[in-house]
Amino acid sequence: MSRKRALISDAFNLKKRRNGTEQFGATAAEEGPADIKSSLEYLMTLFPRKLFNDALPQIVLKHQLYSIHSDRTLVDKELNKMRERGDLLMFQLGFDAEAFGLVFTSDYKAKVLVGEEGKTTQTTVERFLEKVVTVCTDLSFTKDKMLKEFLFTDSEITQLVKSGVLTVRDAGSWWLSIPNSGKFTKYFIKGRKAVLNMVKKSKYGEVLKAEIEERRTNSQVKFHMKYHIHDIVGAELVESIPTTSGTLLRFVDS
Amino acid sequence: MLGFLTARRAGLDDPLRLRRAESTRRVLGLQLNPDRDVDRIHGNGINAIDIEAVEGRYMLSGGADGVIVIYDLENFSGKLQYTCKAVCTIGRSSRYVHKFSVETVQWYPYDTGMFVSSSFDKTMKVWDTETLKPAEVFQFEGNVYCHHLSPIARKHSLIAVGTTNPKIQLCDLKSGSRIHILQGHRAEVLSVRWSPRYEHILATASADSKVKVWDVRRASGSLFTLDQHNGDKSKASSEAVNTAHNGRVNGLCFTGDGLYLLTTGTDDRMRLWNSATGENTLVNYGKVCNESRKRLQFTVSRGCSPEFVFVPCGSSVAVYTLHTGELVTMLRGHYNNVDCCEFHPDYQVSSSDLSPNSQEWFVPRMLTVTLLDSLCSSYFCFISSALQ
Repeated sequence: MSRKRALISDAFNLKKRRNGTEQFGATAAEEGPADIKSSLEYLMTLFPRKLFNDALPQIVLKHQLYSIHSDRTLVDKELNKMRERGDLLMFQLGFDAEAFGLVFTSDYKAKVLVGEEGKTTQTTVERFLEKVVTVCTDLSFTKDKMLKEFLFTDSEITQLVKSGVLTVRDAGSWWLSIPNSGKFTKYFIKGRKAVLNMVKKSKYGEVLKAEIEERRTNSQVKFHMKYHIHDIVGAELVESIPTTSGTLLRFVDS
Repeated sequence: MLGFLTARRAGLDDPLRLRRAESTRRVLGLQLNPDRDVDRIHGNGINAIDIEAVEGRYMLSGGADGVIVIYDLENFSGKLQYTCKAVCTIGRSSRYVHKFSVETVQWYPYDTGMFVSSSFDKTMKVWDTETLKPAEVFQFEGNVYCHHLSPIARKHSLIAVGTTNPKIQLCDLKSGSRIHILQGHRAEVLSVRWSPRYEHILATASADSKVKVWDVRRASGSLFTLDQHNGDKSKASSEAVNTAHNGRVNGLCFTGDGLYLLTTGTDDRMRLWNSATGENTLVNYGKVCNESRKRLQFTVSRGCSPEFVFVPCGSSVAVYTLHTGELVTMLRGHYNNVDCCEFHPDYQVSSSDLSPNSQEWFVPRMLTVTLLDSLCSSYFCFISSALQ
């Protein structure tokens, strides 16, 4: 779109360019929409598939993207677009009201169907995946909706809960969930606590990002260190400060 | 900037454009001003400040010890190094001083002959500036958290008062009556704000996590309640339905044109709402630290492009771009927690510090004012107030 006159905000170039931290491994600060998908894919590679014997699809948390892209509103908009297109699924993970897990729809469907092989609940789950997950972008479902809109019976809903695709939210409503994700949540919370303690116990409560990524992880941390770093930076549990020696992570006491 | 000046001179650009450009440039260049200072009268922290709308010359401040001070912000001394003098004080020795901390102060919107202050001693006093005596005292049953007079009202002179009682009282200045009550909240009302666009629209925020918008002419309840999920009931747990935040909502601010409303809550979030429909615009500001148990006074710039939000955040003031949610900068300079900010189109945001040592002003480094004729004022000051 050509403008006859420039916008006032352009004159001040509000997007501050950060110099000096790029060469230490942080991804470039380009904000194009295509990059959100590639950052998602990059974060998915950090997810340890072997740890769960390949039973779980790759899960990324929404706030991990905030640590890569500075414009959160743009990230949110892009994610909503992807969800509406049906490429991405969002889940309420349960341990934090703001922690949303993201999984590619294709991954999710594949893993769930593999997990359901040979079980009695297989047909119901398949039907659920086809009718509900593809169509509806909601995070949770109420009993009314399940019975009337999607025509599932009570016993079928019980089967879905048993198979792990639905989790109880409160009387008469359920969250959409990932089967067998309990282990993921457990390891994730433990690992997050351990990494936060590592930052907290460092001298002055701060540590260089490059240094902590190199550190040996103890038995509590099962995921890749970078996965946890993106998580704590994006959730603003640590402050990310650009310095001349690279990015510094400082523990935020709240 | 020179491009803007030339265009203005040649008549290619509207004069308003240059004014906006200069305002934006100054906001982006805000820094702590080492030369300007404000008289230290308050012994304890400062809870609320207000700059009068007519000239932008006089500032009111209300402190935690019940003291109210009026300062003259103009510098007629000709020197760069200047301390803004206190014009008058309602100190502890006055017969009419508030017994406990003053929570909100506000000038009468049309002239400086009158101002209103409300305090934790369960009263709201309407003062005559000339004699420094209260012309009217309104008694309440609970601590008064906030009050607000509509800045544009012509047909009414109501003061909306939020107290520990979930009912919002509307006190009439002309008649002294207080029979008009707005019912709907379930917990104490932490912040009330009239819309700067429509004189009958009032927004209220409460500790029950809800923000309600009212039309005071209506007999039945609120117009609507702000819902952070925009009606999408699936996103959060069922208790969080129809709430604006996941915690107490303690800050409210309309933008200058009244089209948007900003709310802050103790869930460390700030949200931008379309004030006509109540829709959450879903702008993500990230974590906006909020530990205040009372009202948080924050402010939005007026006359800049793009608009900025100044939020007290710990001992500094965070500056965000209004519509994108980007954190522009943190203004540091206070020694203690910042309590409130006020924006003035000519002077910058003032924030008040609750510690007795600091009332400082932030001024942009470059003061190239002489070039601009009548468009902009001479300087911007950012006064920060911090909480102890």
